[in-house]
Amino acid sequence: MSIDLKLDKAGDAVTLSVNGDIDMSSSTKMRDALAPLFHTDNKVVVVDLSGVSYIDSSGIATLVEGLQWSHNSKNKFRLAALTPGVKDVFEIARLLTVFEVFETKELALAP
Amino acid sequence: MSQPIKLSIPSDPKYLGLIRKVLQELLDSSDVPDDTARRLILCVDEACANVIKHSYEGSCDEPIEATFTIAGDDFKVQIRDYGKQCDLSQIKPRDLEDIKPGGLGTHFINEIMDDVSYCTNRTKGTLLTMIKKIKTGLTSTQNKG
Repeated sequence: MSIDLKLDKAGDAVTLSVNGDIDMSSSTKMRDALAPLFHTDNKVVVVDLSGVSYIDSSGIATLVEGLQWSHNSKNKFRLAALTPGVKDVFEIARLLTVFEVFETKELALAP
Repeated sequence: MSQPIKLSIPSDPKYLGLIRKVLQELLDSSDVPDDTARRLILCVDEACANVIKHSYEGSCDEPIEATFTIAGDDFKVQIRDYGKQCDLSQIKPRDLEDIKPGGLGTHFINEIMDDVSYCTNRTKGTLLTMIKKIKTGLTSTQNKG
């Protein structure tokens, strides 16, 4: 099971759009795409999860890493458009309030 | 459906999607509500991922056997591996107050399932048994009737 990733840079914000299931076999690919975004001058890093219907603990762990990278680099890190299945996993992990979560990518990109 | 459904996959993460799909079909055919099905699938995926990581230590060509049974309101899944036996004292969910990557799989399993047991009383490997009380569309209809 693979995921498709797309990067969109707009001004000082960058969006990583993910499509597919994020599991043990694909979370490394997302991590590899996400990690370098915190080493540039991106002020806001958004992960658009509208195309993700399934995420497991390895995917959640990658996003927690993103949160830690953003704290170190002072970038904003935002999640957008969580599907019901993904939101449920965040809720079970009790992590929904730890992240900045937005209904849509556009809202996440708003200043 | 009281006859068990058995599926064996190699311990390669690329087959986790396959086991999720099979289980989704099975739960759909038993009229298990979507939100319940999603959570059961998460537990099975996490259990298999733990086998790959800890029992087989990343080796991709070892067997993982899953047996699914839906009998009445009970969903039972057994995950059998033949790798390194798990140290039962080491299986514990992490403290959720401590925000860090990793260690959530066991929390998901314990949070979602009603009964979880690990049997290492065998020559090789571990048998994990997870049971969840479910309310299927089918049993709801039967109860009403």
